[in-house]
Amino acid sequence: MQNALSLHAVTKRFGSFTAVSELSLEVPKGCIFGFLGQNGAGKTTTIRMVMSIFHPDAGSLSVLGHADAAQVKDRLGYLPEEKGLYKKMKTAEIVAYFGKLKGMDSSTANLKAKELLTRYGLGDWLDKKCEAMSKGMGQKVQVLGTIIHEPDLVILDEPFSGLDPVNRDLMKDLILDMKRQRRTVIFSTHGMEHAEQLCDYVMMIHKSKLQFCGTLAEVKQGRDLGIQLDYDGDGGIVQKLPGARRVNDNGKHAEIFLQSGVDPQEALRWLVERVRVRRFDYREPSLHEIFVRTVEEANAKLAAAGAGN
Amino acid sequence: MASKIFLVAQREYLENIRTKTFWIGILALPILIAISIGAGFVLNKLKETKTYAVVDLSVAKLAPRIEKQARSTDMAGLARLLAAKPDLAKAFEPIAKDFGSDLAKWKPTEGDGKQADHELPEELKDRMLEAWLQMPADDLARMAEGNQGLDTAKKFRLRSLQDLGVAELPVEEQQKRLGQMVKQGQLFAYFVIGADPTKSLEDFRYVSNNFTEESLRKWYGDAATKIVQNLRIAAAGIKPEVARTLKEEVRFAQKQSDETGTTKDVTVADKAGGFAPMAFVYLLWIAVFTAAQMLLTNTVEEKSNRIIEVLLSSVSPGELMAGKIWGIGATGMTLTLSWVLCAAGGYLIAESTIQGMDLSMFASAIDPLYLASFIIYFFFGYLLYAAILVGLGSVCNSLKEAQNLLQPVFIVLIVPLVSMMFIVQEPNGLFAKVLSYVPLFTPFVMMNRAGGPPELYEYAITGVILLASVWFAFKAAGKVFRVGVLMTGNPPKLKEILGWLRQS
Repeated sequence: MQNALSLHAVTKRFGSFTAVSELSLEVPKGCIFGFLGQNGAGKTTTIRMVMSIFHPDAGSLSVLGHADAAQVKDRLGYLPEEKGLYKKMKTAEIVAYFGKLKGMDSSTANLKAKELLTRYGLGDWLDKKCEAMSKGMGQKVQVLGTIIHEPDLVILDEPFSGLDPVNRDLMKDLILDMKRQRRTVIFSTHGMEHAEQLCDYVMMIHKSKLQFCGTLAEVKQGRDLGIQLDYDGDGGIVQKLPGARRVNDNGKHAEIFLQSGVDPQEALRWLVERVRVRRFDYREPSLHEIFVRTVEEANAKLAAAGAGN
Repeated sequence: MASKIFLVAQREYLENIRTKTFWIGILALPILIAISIGAGFVLNKLKETKTYAVVDLSVAKLAPRIEKQARSTDMAGLARLLAAKPDLAKAFEPIAKDFGSDLAKWKPTEGDGKQADHELPEELKDRMLEAWLQMPADDLARMAEGNQGLDTAKKFRLRSLQDLGVAELPVEEQQKRLGQMVKQGQLFAYFVIGADPTKSLEDFRYVSNNFTEESLRKWYGDAATKIVQNLRIAAAGIKPEVARTLKEEVRFAQKQSDETGTTKDVTVADKAGGFAPMAFVYLLWIAVFTAAQMLLTNTVEEKSNRIIEVLLSSVSPGELMAGKIWGIGATGMTLTLSWVLCAAGGYLIAESTIQGMDLSMFASAIDPLYLASFIIYFFFGYLLYAAILVGLGSVCNSLKEAQNLLQPVFIVLIVPLVSMMFIVQEPNGLFAKVLSYVPLFTPFVMMNRAGGPPELYEYAITGVILLASVWFAFKAAGKVFRVGVLMTGNPPKLKEILGWLRQS
């Protein structure tokens, strides 16, 4: 099957700063793909290259089978991290305007805009100006503007940021709807739970370099199993668990990794005596843990390389 | 591609003309001009009549003769008024009876009004002045109101010493009392005419506490000069005819010449035509600057709104920039055309309502060369400055930053304004020619020189330079825009911008 997107050793520099370094990845058609990474890791630059807003300094990419994304711009939908609307425009007008910019003819775009807004609960807002809307509503309008032309590949940069739980669910539904329609969705996020719940594939970049890429199962495979613990009681005690190599304590929930050879049964027994255990899971680590561990390891490697010089 | 530019331009245009600011902009200039014209007119009318008294110390009692001389400009107007309305005021009835036939000559006719006052019989003038000066102030004011040719009656009113109750006092006491009246505001000023003006003018005084309004002093002084001159001429035994020729000023009659060397008179319209380019330059300047600044504001706002990146996923930076420039250019054009329509409308209204007004000077401004220059130079001038400002706007994150960057542009733009008067006087001078070749000034200076007009080759060369500059500015702005528009944080340094320009 042809890939919706593939990058081959793509590099982008701004002056002496390398934003993306020799990045290669493949995004199969019809999947949901998560871009992970810290702020400034290079996610947005990568996305901008895909959208042909930037051009790579080295390497090549192929979007929907074309080397130059500009040729397929009308089949792409893009919601940038920094989202804005024309405050003075009416919601239906602006959604239709985005459609027209993607090559839809005027009357189709107008009809479709009204239909979409009504379907997603903004029917009363068709003739209201954007400046009157709340942030969540504004974001909804932006997403609808992104997908009005039924793009084959949708790229959402931080679609969940700043949304309340209800709107987050709505955004999730929207992404899943697109997958059902066999469209490809790429989104970047800091919320690991969203990635874990939605993504078929994830990749992570750190300081311009790819750290891992694959299906969730592939990414988690071979990693240390850990204890997922929900508890009530003194978190300080959990930290003292004998045989623990590493404890990520959140107060009510902790992720615990044991030294090799330590039996989780022993750990459970020790814990049950000291705190009230509500859930005890021994399983592969969370994406959150993988993310944090990757950052730490990569930084340590960089520091070692720096010391070696 | 072209259609995306059109979509962007269309949106810009529609959004702009929907704003209140746009309509205020359309109305502001004509209203401002109407107000400044109207205000001058009204303020002149509102000026209070200045009252003055005269202490005449001259042996020959010159005050009545000076008064008559000073009022002589109004006598023709008064005679015309009397001829039309013999029952104008009670004081004039006997005069109308005695001088009926003389007055009849002053009946207003078409195109009349240029007769000189010395054609009036001296006796008639004396009698009219006498009657006039004795009229109650209110009647005088009412008479002057709405009647042309009685200007001095509106502006200045003599109050006799009897009237003021100081006639019987000794001279020094008289002046003291008048001085008090000046201080209290009862009198605007009083004059003292010296004892023997044929010998010395030392005792002549003008006493007033207003030092800025000099019209009364000048008006009365001019009249007194003439009377004193005549006195001195008579004392020197020079015949009046000789004196008149001696006093005559040399005036070169103003003519213009055509290709064959034939000369003809220079009319008011011709003169106005020579200065008309200035008005166009001014309008051009405002139009270019308004539109270009609109573009800058719009770009910065859009950038700080974070909408740019959404747009860039659909259109290329080049298309976005071009769309903006055309859309706002169309807005500016609409604005300018509305002003031109307002001016034309105002002209038509003035022509039909104000009769006898010489509007030929305005008509001369509608020279095809001027209009064509205006439209063409607006177009290219706007494009040039639009490219520069859109480039500037794309690197700014806030309007405040933009204002700072705008300052150098503003300083450059001052040059054509400052040199406007100079160039209109010497449209083909070296300064004007040199300035024409500086692309940033070409539109304004060439418009300014249209009265010359410049040689055809100058139009050609400056035109090519201007076009090349517009092309170059667009290229450069496109590169800066492409990078700048997605930049946040501090605005880049000039060095960095130059670096972007060198990149492909």
